[in-house]
Amino acid sequence: MNSLLWLIPAIPGLGAAVNGLFGRHLGKRASAAIACGSVAASFLLALGFFFTRFLAEGGASARVEQSLFEWIPSMGVEWAYRLDSLSMVMTLVVTGIGLLIHIYSVGYMSHDGGFSRFFAYLNLFTFFMLNLVLGANMLLLFIGWEGVGLCSYLLIGFWFERPAAAQAGKKAFIVNRIGDAGFILAVFLTFVTFGTLDFYGVMGEIASADMQGGVLTAIGVLLFVGAAGKSAQIPLYVWLPDAMEGPTPVSALIHAATMVTAGVYMVARSGVLFSHAPAALALVATVGALTAIFAATIALFQTDIKKVLAYSTVSQLGYMFLGAGVGAFAAAIFHLMTHAFFKACLFLGSGSVIHAMEHAEHASGGHRHYTEMQDMRNMGGLLRHMPRTGWTFIVATIAIAGIPPLAGFFSKDEILWKTFEHGHFVLWGIAAAAAVMTAFYMSRQVIMTFLGDFRGGAAMEKHLHESAPSMTVPLVILAAGSVVAGFVGVPSALGGSYRLHTFLEPAIYAGGQAPPAMPHNYALEYALMALSVALAAAGIWFAWRRYRNAPTRDASLAGSGAYRLLLNKYYVDEIYDATAVNGTLRGGEGLYRLDQRVVDGAVNGSARVTMLSADLSDLSDRNVVDRAVNLVAEILGAASTRFRRLQSGLFQSYALLMLLAVVLLAGALVLWS
Amino acid sequence: MGEYLGILVATVFGVAFVAVTLAVSSLVRPVNPLPAKAMPYECGENPVGTPWGVQFNIRFYVFALVFLIFDVEAVMLLPWALAYLDLGPGALAAGLLFLGMLVLGLADVWVKGDLEWVRTEERRALKRRGASPAAAPTGGSA
Amino acid sequence: MSDALASLGRFLPELLLMGALAVVIVADLATQAWSLARSRNLLVGLTLAGLGAAFVASLGEPGGGSLFASMIADDGLLGVLRPLFALTAIFTLLFSLRAKELDGARMGEMVALLLTVTAALMWMAGSVNLVMIYLSLETVSVASYIMVGYRSSDRLSNEASLKYILFGAVSTGVMLFGLSLLYGLTGTLDLYGVRAALAAEDAGPALILVLLLVAGGIGFKIAAVPFHFWCPDVYTGASTPVTAFLSVGPKAAGFAVLIRFFYSGIAQPGADGTFAAVGGVDWQGLIIVLAVVTMTLGNVAALLQTNMKRLLAYSSIAHAGTILIGAAALSSEGIGAIVTYLVIYLFMNLGAFLVVILVHRVTGTFELEGYAGFWKRSPLLTVAMGIFLFSLMGIPPFAGFFAKLYVFAAAVEAELGWLAVVGVLNSAVAAFYYIKVLRIMAVDPGDGELPALRFSRLDGALLLALVTPNVVGILFGGALEQISEIAQRLLDLA
Repeated sequence: MNSLLWLIPAIPGLGAAVNGLFGRHLGKRASAAIACGSVAASFLLALGFFFTRFLAEGGASARVEQSLFEWIPSMGVEWAYRLDSLSMVMTLVVTGIGLLIHIYSVGYMSHDGGFSRFFAYLNLFTFFMLNLVLGANMLLLFIGWEGVGLCSYLLIGFWFERPAAAQAGKKAFIVNRIGDAGFILAVFLTFVTFGTLDFYGVMGEIASADMQGGVLTAIGVLLFVGAAGKSAQIPLYVWLPDAMEGPTPVSALIHAATMVTAGVYMVARSGVLFSHAPAALALVATVGALTAIFAATIALFQTDIKKVLAYSTVSQLGYMFLGAGVGAFAAAIFHLMTHAFFKACLFLGSGSVIHAMEHAEHASGGHRHYTEMQDMRNMGGLLRHMPRTGWTFIVATIAIAGIPPLAGFFSKDEILWKTFEHGHFVLWGIAAAAAVMTAFYMSRQVIMTFLGDFRGGAAMEKHLHESAPSMTVPLVILAAGSVVAGFVGVPSALGGSYRLHTFLEPAIYAGGQAPPAMPHNYALEYALMALSVALAAAGIWFAWRRYRNAPTRDASLAGSGAYRLLLNKYYVDEIYDATAVNGTLRGGEGLYRLDQRVVDGAVNGSARVTMLSADLSDLSDRNVVDRAVNLVAEILGAASTRFRRLQSGLFQSYALLMLLAVVLLAGALVLWS
Repeated sequence: MGEYLGILVATVFGVAFVAVTLAVSSLVRPVNPLPAKAMPYECGENPVGTPWGVQFNIRFYVFALVFLIFDVEAVMLLPWALAYLDLGPGALAAGLLFLGMLVLGLADVWVKGDLEWVRTEERRALKRRGASPAAAPTGGSA
Repeated sequence: MSDALASLGRFLPELLLMGALAVVIVADLATQAWSLARSRNLLVGLTLAGLGAAFVASLGEPGGGSLFASMIADDGLLGVLRPLFALTAIFTLLFSLRAKELDGARMGEMVALLLTVTAALMWMAGSVNLVMIYLSLETVSVASYIMVGYRSSDRLSNEASLKYILFGAVSTGVMLFGLSLLYGLTGTLDLYGVRAALAAEDAGPALILVLLLVAGGIGFKIAAVPFHFWCPDVYTGASTPVTAFLSVGPKAAGFAVLIRFFYSGIAQPGADGTFAAVGGVDWQGLIIVLAVVTMTLGNVAALLQTNMKRLLAYSSIAHAGTILIGAAALSSEGIGAIVTYLVIYLFMNLGAFLVVILVHRVTGTFELEGYAGFWKRSPLLTVAMGIFLFSLMGIPPFAGFFAKLYVFAAAVEAELGWLAVVGVLNSAVAAFYYIKVLRIMAVDPGDGELPALRFSRLDGALLLALVTPNVVGILFGGALEQISEIAQRLLDLA
């Protein structure tokens, strides 16, 4: 069985190759069958591993390793996969939820011209994502990391005939390059420090030598820069909301459930390293908490159905990092898993809504822009027309709001509790405030979309209807998951035993020691639990009061500065454009000018000086060297016009700059020696 | 730094020599500037136009290059011709190979018409236009 | 004499190229009266045979030792670069069949020049003698000048050629001056003799001058800032196959000379594969400065280009800077990283130029605007360009990642971590302009409805031959390291 491990990533990879190369000749049915079938096969294989190896007694510390070949001999890096409890959970999430989204996409994309191309990308994404979670060393993880980034770029820009989509893809790509620069530097630093890139090797060495801080902090911070890029944390979060230009299943799979959580996975995977670098960990926690509240405030008044979810995702990712940052890596992965269920459900639900809206608009003869079809101000009352979508959406909303006993309650509450327990009271306060907002904006979204009366016009309303089963069945399954997924991590305070945590710990602290558990303080835990439920309920109640009878009342706030600030996302994009982007371009232009033109001026200047000196000597020495000087001046003048006639005539200027540079270099070299 | 001192002395001396000579001559010579005196010396001919305006026909360069190649060839062949009997068959083969390459080069410029003042294809083009080759522009100014 | 004869046997690739040159000249003369297409086919066929034979002959383990009385080192570095040059020339030749600029041009001189340059590149990569370095470099340069100006009726081409000549004359002249000074300082022309003399006695400040002058000559060949000014103009003016050739072949040979001169001539190997400067001048700083300036200027200047050939010119400058990081490492790994980079660079850069050629064939322009709407006209070409550009960016899973990985790893290993940081940040900036090209091809609407593209079988084969290494390269780390390991076996380290 061990030798089959490589098949888990390889099958979707093969599916991608087949669909990519021959997709057009296959027809839609065959394309869909290949794409869904390959992910299903991977999922079944993963389940097979799970049941045979990990569910048994002591299965938590089971390890399945397979090295395919020696990949980079000089660094001792092999192309090796490793399945331990952490990657097992991730693999199940990626293939399981991935499979549902694949099936959903069959319906969602059925009328799209790029059907097989879409599935090729989706399968390719799954391939790289599985490489990411199964890679036994940092470099293989990095290959997967960049690969999913590439697929994300291709899928965001899938409808590249929409300029906004192309722009969003480019933005995602470039912002991620900044994060990736941090990651690859962390890889180098790790290799130089430990001489290996194998996760277990590195973590084991850290634990056995009991290193603290120093280089570990540097590696940790660099890794987190990478994670902040991929997982959309401050200050690199700007690409994720724009990424919603991609098809909705993509938003669900890549920009909610899997790829964006890769940063969290990577931090958890390096749990030992981060535990030994408290400063880096504090950075992770702080950025996480700030992102959680920052994104939540932006989500409050967005009107685009997907934008709300996008900022919600950024905010929830902030929670995960907060959890990891206070040392509760397992809680972060727990929230990652439950979030995958309810956020995928929400995104697919919104996709179902958009699908219905666009269909109705089309059928009623309208041709409004697609952004209008995603605007919640044009919706309302959809629960009557699409009950399955509506109810699953509501279930997922309750889950994300943190109402027990749904999944979100357990995972989010645990992060809040761990934050408090470890003494980060300020961060806890921030996160609790963000929890109120989460409940508020999600309820607002449900009210604006599904309750009340339809605001898109009667002509359109006639054509509204529920989506096809291939879309609603995944929704129902995901909603069910949002209800029950939390039970794998019931805290001991509620009579559970943190099953997921005990399962994950051997992998997270591989080679090291899990920190000792804190003494139980059930009374405090109950109090905080009650408080967080009360906060969530309060958020829902506020939204109900505010929007139940006037879903679009935010329009009256248009004059408020704070409202405008939030609606325009704090103008962060504009600030980035004005500073970083324009700064780079200006700098480039300046250097280019220097390269091309300034030198020209220098040459002309020197020619003029020569002429001037010629004139001077002409005046003072007219009778002695008159003619000779004139000749020199003439030659210089003639030469310079002649050379200028050679289009730009820059040769002398080039030569002059070269000379200057050589002099500078000589100076540098003398100083250096 | 000692070994650079000589260079410095030579430089200073060189500059001083010219300067002193010019200074002395300017003291003793009569001053009588004439336009004819300021003319550049060109083998006794009066120069026409400015030095920048002189245009030589590009063909001169081709001839000069071909000439140069065969001129240098002679230099290379002379020692070989004197010594190949002592050096054996290898040297003979090497020399012949060298000659062969040069002959190939000569054949190339010949066939491509670079040895003629008016190249073959140009001549054809001129004929088509009804002009005689003799009327083609020739030569440069002296 | 016996040394020369013995050397000839290990000089087979170069001899084959020279033989092919003679045959091609004769064939060109004999077919003057033939139709253009017929003579072209014959000449290209003969040249291809010669280059192919040279490629095959250059494979296999290098002999070690030196040839022709220590003029040329028949070592690992040459052993790796010989096939690289032959391959570059083969691609260039095939490109020239498809380049619109060369339609209707007689090919006799072009193929003769190509064979000459290829042989001269091999001499250059093997030179371990100051005179030999200069002679081979000059041979490459002179032949390249003519190749750049090959379209004699095109003003841009002529201007580029003239600029190239002026620059080349200055740079090689400067270098020759430096070499003669070095001869004066050490009393020997042999690079290893130079090393011995410098190790015995410091040369003092004159060596600084020598270094700068020689760096000027080498910098010119590899297009390093501040010796790069010719590059954008020449790349734009030359016909695209020639540009492609210049961006790979002479650049690689320039790096070979750099390794020879700096690592064998003015440094000596120390413990565990490191090198230490001799002669009292610590020149590592010089290379570092060149690397940083070259990378940064190349990348930021590329951001603003609107002409594809100029963009690729600046991109090639930036890549030269990145490769210089490997040279700054002063270690055997650095040498290996440089050569690995050059091998991968061949496939990604020639690939990008092939797309430029094919696009120019249908649009007749090199301006970036001309690339609009290509996704609709040919998804295949767009995807191929995407692969080449992603590879040039250094993004896994494409082969370009390995190129960068090894260079940065060598720098980190040599405790030049900050230089690797600069390199990584530069790669991030580079993403901007490469992605811009891709966006234009995929997103911008073209002018009206243009017909879908049809490719000849040759186009398809060339694209496949260049795409494949970029895609599967990531799996062949072991093979790459074998190449790198061979290249590290310099004459004295075998």
